[in-house]
Amino acid sequence: MTINSVTSLLVWLPIGAALVVWLLPLSRYATGSLAVLVSLVEVGFWIEQAARFDFGHSGLQFAQRGSWFSDLHVSYHVGEYAFSLWLVGLTVVAMAAAIGYGFWVGRDRSRAYFGLMLLLTGATVGVFVSQDLLLFYAFFEAMLIPLYILIGVWGGAGRLGATVKFLIYTMTGSLLMLAAIIVYGLQAGTFDLVDGPTSASRWLFLGFMFAFVIKAPLFPFHGWLPDAYREAPPEVSAVLSGVIAKAGLYGMLRIVLPKFPDPSSYYRTAILALAAASLVYGSLLAFRSPDFRGVVAYSSLAQSGLIALGLFSGTNLGLDGAVLQMVAHGLVSVSLFLIAGAVERRTTTGELALLGGMARGRPALATLLMVVGVISLAVPGSASFAGEFLVLAGAFQRAWWWAAIGAGAIVLAAMYMLRLISAVLHEARGSVVTDDALDLRAGELALVVPLAAVLLALSAFPAGISHHSFAGDQPTSAVQGQFR
Amino acid sequence: MSGPGVVWYLGIAAFLFGTGALGVLVRRNVLIVLLSLEIMLNGGNLALIAFSRQAGNGDGQIFALSVMAVAAAEVCVGLGLVVALHRRRLALDVDTLSELRG
Amino acid sequence: MTRVDSMAAGAWLCLFAPLAGTVLILAGGSRISRRLAGWVATSSVAVAFAGAVWAFVALHGQSGHAGTVWTAWTWLQSGSFNVGMSVLVDPLSSLMMLIVSGVGALIVLYSIGYMDGDDEERRYFAYISFFVFSMLMLVEGGNLLLLLVGWGLVGLSSYLLIGFWHERPTAVAAAKKAFVMNAFGDATLALGLFVLIAHSGSLSFATSFATAGQLSSTTVSLVALGLLGGAAAKSAQIPLHTWLPDAMEGPTPVSALIHAATMVTAGVYLIARTHPIFEQARTVELIAAGAGALTLVVAGLVALVQTDIKRVIAYSTMSQIGYMFLGAGVGAYSAGMFHLMTHAFFKALLFMGAGVVIHALAGEQDIRKMRGIGKLMPFTKWCFLAGALALVGVPPFSGFFSKDSIVAATMNLGWYGWVFWACGVAGAFLTGLYTFRLWFLVFPGEPSDEVREHHHAHHGEGGKEGPWTMLVPVGILAVLATVGGWLQWAPKWHYLTTWLEPAARTLAIAEPTTRQEYFTSVATVVAGLVGIAVAWALYGRERVTIPSVPSLRHALEHKFYFDELYDALFYRPASAMATWWGRDFEEPVVLATGPELGQTALDIGGLVRRLQTGLLRTYVFFVAAGTAVIALVFLLTK
Repeated sequence: MTINSVTSLLVWLPIGAALVVWLLPLSRYATGSLAVLVSLVEVGFWIEQAARFDFGHSGLQFAQRGSWFSDLHVSYHVGEYAFSLWLVGLTVVAMAAAIGYGFWVGRDRSRAYFGLMLLLTGATVGVFVSQDLLLFYAFFEAMLIPLYILIGVWGGAGRLGATVKFLIYTMTGSLLMLAAIIVYGLQAGTFDLVDGPTSASRWLFLGFMFAFVIKAPLFPFHGWLPDAYREAPPEVSAVLSGVIAKAGLYGMLRIVLPKFPDPSSYYRTAILALAAASLVYGSLLAFRSPDFRGVVAYSSLAQSGLIALGLFSGTNLGLDGAVLQMVAHGLVSVSLFLIAGAVERRTTTGELALLGGMARGRPALATLLMVVGVISLAVPGSASFAGEFLVLAGAFQRAWWWAAIGAGAIVLAAMYMLRLISAVLHEARGSVVTDDALDLRAGELALVVPLAAVLLALSAFPAGISHHSFAGDQPTSAVQGQFR
Repeated sequence: MSGPGVVWYLGIAAFLFGTGALGVLVRRNVLIVLLSLEIMLNGGNLALIAFSRQAGNGDGQIFALSVMAVAAAEVCVGLGLVVALHRRRLALDVDTLSELRG
Repeated sequence: MTRVDSMAAGAWLCLFAPLAGTVLILAGGSRISRRLAGWVATSSVAVAFAGAVWAFVALHGQSGHAGTVWTAWTWLQSGSFNVGMSVLVDPLSSLMMLIVSGVGALIVLYSIGYMDGDDEERRYFAYISFFVFSMLMLVEGGNLLLLLVGWGLVGLSSYLLIGFWHERPTAVAAAKKAFVMNAFGDATLALGLFVLIAHSGSLSFATSFATAGQLSSTTVSLVALGLLGGAAAKSAQIPLHTWLPDAMEGPTPVSALIHAATMVTAGVYLIARTHPIFEQARTVELIAAGAGALTLVVAGLVALVQTDIKRVIAYSTMSQIGYMFLGAGVGAYSAGMFHLMTHAFFKALLFMGAGVVIHALAGEQDIRKMRGIGKLMPFTKWCFLAGALALVGVPPFSGFFSKDSIVAATMNLGWYGWVFWACGVAGAFLTGLYTFRLWFLVFPGEPSDEVREHHHAHHGEGGKEGPWTMLVPVGILAVLATVGGWLQWAPKWHYLTTWLEPAARTLAIAEPTTRQEYFTSVATVVAGLVGIAVAWALYGRERVTIPSVPSLRHALEHKFYFDELYDALFYRPASAMATWWGRDFEEPVVLATGPELGQTALDIGGLVRRLQTGLLRTYVFFVAAGTAVIALVFLLTK
């Protein structure tokens, strides 16, 4: 097995494992163990890829190509760039944590559940490694199926409405993107991303952007976000916010920016305005949100805005910062949702008005929530600060007011995150916090502590990602050269 | 050719067709609707034969023969439906038979 | 080991020893005893001090004392923008390293005694070691971004320590307020840095200072304003000062270390460090001086009516930092830094002395209930007196030497120089007044019954004033507060100014003549003594009562209504906007759009449904009409 086929392995191994889980009548324990094992194997394979990746070399690495619809010039073309390597890493790590959480908590109908989680893993990795538009679309939609079922079956009280809204919102965008893909592919004569030409068509740009702007999401297309994040099971919210949202932003980086340079410039101010609006709006609504998950959900909206700000700033600093922030925020968001899940399991609610005083007697919970919380608010020295600083420095080079808005958002982030931390940990004990609500157990710690450790390591060395996301660390040239 | 011009025949055919159509649209009894449908078909037949006479070839007459065959078949099916309706004690009234409404 | 290596080794040791302390305490968890955690923290800061001394000695021996930057690894990089994890050892940073780690070690030692018995002692010592690490990163950081990192981390440590007793809602609220105001300062500082990056692509000190010389005056003023915003927030100068009094919710050693000796002085350090940028934007530098002058007077006034012993000292800190800002702002950087040093000694001393009293009285902080405690606690009384005299600036105590240099430096500036000078002298009067109001209300005289009762209950018979871990640092600081100023007497000898010259040369305009120095010294000392005398008259002997001016008293008690103003200007509108958007926009518009569109689709379906009447004649009609239309179209287009 060559190193190039590891990419396909990363996509199809979990999908194959999902089939195994669905077909074989394994016990709940065996199913869960298999799923956890597969997810850890995925992480192992990714580490090997990362170790062998050549960061100085431009162009696609670990590529594989096979024909699919040869008359339409559609091929099975997968491969990785440096930034997609990091996002694949984020995916496999986040999914491992989520599957671990599902195993720890114990979900009924475990074969269905773990099969769907594995399918989701494979589909998401597929999104990040596809280099053909139809293949990309197939995986993009394939991500939705397991999410729809996961939210709809294992979610909270309002799950049906939430999942239908989520599905229809996302599919509307995706259908527009499909139309754009078809027009682009037929016009260009090929659906391949690496070989395909640029296009000056604004309609195609809008078609693609519509899908990604709903996926990310950006204001005002975020109507699906609060309900989906609140009603989904905690580990699914974690994956939604930490990984799936990044798929939308990745699409902007991989497809829209290189293939539509002129429309990108034309609409740049509008997109930056939407991104800035998401940043401020998300932060304000997080500040007023009455429950734990609401704060993290709206914070996610704000961070998507920040990352989009970096992507569309069109500067080296902005692009590097955006990739760094994608990884950093992904990890932070997964950790926060898992901690939220842990709190909800113990107290049956996430309502901040009913929580409080959980720090006393629960040092592990308090330490973890505090560490992840301050990294989330981008305390200087953290990885998310490094990402945010680069993004805003890049945005400043575009125009000073974007950076000024971002700087205001720094203060807002401090406000809402500290409010969350205090409402959960400090002051008097909440009415739902009983003595039965124990500290975090070894299983939960085994899930969140590694994530926090990676975040701390990244905080000590953010150049690891920021300097190694684009060939030779020249992002704008890489985008202009369509990553060839 | 001797006799009245094609127009007269077409006029009668149109009259027959119109009467039939009106019957189909207005009358409520299923049997009367079927009858009106027959009248429409006959009006069409008459027009076909008149045109055949005018054109001088037999195409219209052949077509009219196949129309009669189809009409006969369709009457069988229609009357069969009427009998089935009657057996189920349903009213033979098109306005009442509206289960396919949206 | 070469000199250069010694400097580097000392600097790295100094920086990372306290972090190692934090990690050890966290790793130990409940396995180590609370006492051990305290000693781990103290030793780690002591090791940091040793490192600072090592670096200082090596630097001292080097001719020229130029600054050197060492980079351990590249922290952040994007294209050509490169920020290393680096430390800078130069006269300014080594002075700060000594102050932070030296005074820090004393205060952490003191905490062992003060926090004894608290359940969460280990957490406290982990936090305080982390704070010392953050502060050292701020002063040792080899580039502007690392300075900002240290800046933010001390804000974080401050939040953790102010809110240490997190079951108290007032403590939690105070911690949040401090953090958010500091975050505002971080944001303005970051904006200033963005301007520098946009123009030079680098944040190293050398490049940034060189770039500042090439920027247009508006641009460099904006950079300087950004830096000033951060400095004012961190140092609690008007208008970003409202967090400091509330920060007294934290344990007293925290107030001593963070809110007196080190963190709040970071703003002064920043101005001294980035003085090349400020000198290009002279107006902004003078605004800094003006803010300092205003704060020193306003804080002095508010201190006159405070009844909590820690709040008096807090407002005093705010006022003294105003002096430091005044000094740095007019260009007398070494004078400002000198006052920073002496202030660290006597202010920490005052806080710690207050802490001994509070500890002895089982948590009582109201000065009206402390009358006469001096008789029961003589050691504390004399040490506190030394600190108080140093604060007022009575020779030969340390404050005299440092404060007067600052006030004298304002004399050559023009009309606003005289305003500053007047503020400085007025401030000296106010300092004398509020300090000795505190002294006379608390220490001399016969102990009141309350005091005897609390003290007795807490200490038993003939006990010591406190544990040695608390008294020894107080004693050491009392000695330093007395003799620390003898390092420099501007007219005659100036070791500190000479030492700091390579890093922060005093501007010519801020160098007073010897005559001006003497004149100022006399003025400030006289003002201070007059203040003491008035305090004695009002509070010591109670011969004179203050005329009652209710509106003035209200204004002072409400700290000139700054809190209310900010609440109305910022917090309430932000909160209202967030609520309004959440309720009136998010719910009806954004969240409902999806379901509304879906409902519209359903409604259209409902309309189309009407066509399916179920009646035969409708369907036939449509067939007929459709056919007729097609036939018509066919005929027409033919």
